[in-house]
Amino acid sequence: MMKHFMRMLLQVWLYSYCICLWRCLKFIVRKLTGRCELQRICYNNKPGATRTMKIETSLKNSKNKLLQTAVSVHPDAIEKTIDDIMVLKKINLDTNPQLGVSLQACLLQIVGYRNLVVEIEKLRRESFDSDNPEHEEMLFKLWSLLKPGIPLQSRISKQWSEIGFQGDDPKTDFRGMGLLGLSSLLYFAEWDTTSALQILSDCLHPKYSNFNKAEWEKKKFDKAIGYSFAIVGINITDLAYNLLISGALKTHLYNVAPEAPALKHFQQTFCYLILEFHKFWIEEDPLDIMEFNRVRNKFHKKILKQLQNLDMALCPHFAASEDVINI
Amino acid sequence: MLSVKGLLSILRKLKSAPDQEVRILLLGLDNAGKTTLLKQLASEDISHITPTQGFNIKSVQSQGFKLNVWDIGGQRKIRPYWRNYFENTDVLIYVIDSADRKRFEETGQELAELLDEEKLSGVPVLIFANKQDLLTAAPASEIAEGLNLHTIRDRVWQIQSCSALTGEGVQDGMNWVCKNVNAKKK
Repeated sequence: MMKHFMRMLLQVWLYSYCICLWRCLKFIVRKLTGRCELQRICYNNKPGATRTMKIETSLKNSKNKLLQTAVSVHPDAIEKTIDDIMVLKKINLDTNPQLGVSLQACLLQIVGYRNLVVEIEKLRRESFDSDNPEHEEMLFKLWSLLKPGIPLQSRISKQWSEIGFQGDDPKTDFRGMGLLGLSSLLYFAEWDTTSALQILSDCLHPKYSNFNKAEWEKKKFDKAIGYSFAIVGINITDLAYNLLISGALKTHLYNVAPEAPALKHFQQTFCYLILEFHKFWIEEDPLDIMEFNRVRNKFHKKILKQLQNLDMALCPHFAASEDVINI
Repeated sequence: MLSVKGLLSILRKLKSAPDQEVRILLLGLDNAGKTTLLKQLASEDISHITPTQGFNIKSVQSQGFKLNVWDIGGQRKIRPYWRNYFENTDVLIYVIDSADRKRFEETGQELAELLDEEKLSGVPVLIFANKQDLLTAAPASEIAEGLNLHTIRDRVWQIQSCSALTGEGVQDGMNWVCKNVNAKKK
């Protein structure tokens, strides 16, 4: 008991000692270079995840209230916060014209990511409601995009399973992903209809699609079915959601969204993930659908590993608007 | 020296009485609440559940047993795969959405087919009348009658009303499972 206590005491002491040492080091470096930590980060790191993540850590670990709370200010208050930081750090704007702009861009991303988490969580918590005409319209739109020219016989219909829902009413399939699942699927079907239709077709036709029908029947591969597109889409939404909530998506979003990351960036990430998952599924060549969770976990690990690379961007970069482009 | 001896005897005891491993199969139609039940058993977060493609498996320690629970997707397309998991099953748990009256017939049919399976013959079956938290849920007695459960003679069975969402009734059901693990009729 005593031993345990002593060890804990030692750890606490070691921790505070390291913090103290770190602060002294920062103080010395500041005196030597004439720059504060925020300045040094901006000078030494290129814009994107490398810089923004270091700024975020520095702000969060600061003992100054203004810097600590900077990561959670309202987007409209960012400019004011930057001005305050400049005053606090006694930075001369005439000799450092870039710094304010760079810091502002970082803060825009940091605050944006936090707000995106809130927005996505709200969308996820909104259950699909068949009495809400907007929700119903989204569902019908998804059908018409994935089954062009084929009318839905009725709202409750076995036809829903043709696009990969489980039963005759998709409503019960959204579950824990709520409206987020539907909006992700719909975004993908709208934004990249060709790929969505291709994936759907791959799913409906057994994986050995390069055989002709006679060969197919001879081999009796009728059981080797693909996965169910819609519910796998809901499952991949869960994967994207987890990456966002855990913070793993920061590298990607800070690299691709030069301004605040927004809903469209999340949806684009979803599109990337579902396309990549499909490729991965085909490469893994699973025996049947029962291997889904094994393949999915392997895919999840692969993406997590990729996101550890600070230069990683899962999908193409987005153009910044005029005022941010020169940072 | 004494403490080493003590440690060894504890180790020996642990070795001589390992938890009995129990294979539990969790089946039912899609949206019955199988995965929520599984996560509730493992005390995991149940707010992010998505439809099960394939299966999930979790091990739970309970009353000296190591319960290996297999949760297989209930989608019509996946049901043909259920049979791949029958072998060596100790207890079958069948989950019913008590509020989905339109599909009582379908779920009854699936259950009847399961009870006819040779590989599951004599295996104790627990029927969870799930979603009792919903106002429209049918009571367990009504479901038991609708499914003619009283005609089951070849095995021990039990129907338990529960809500996987709130956890109500789940432990009672699992207590029954632990009591009847070894009641398989040969």
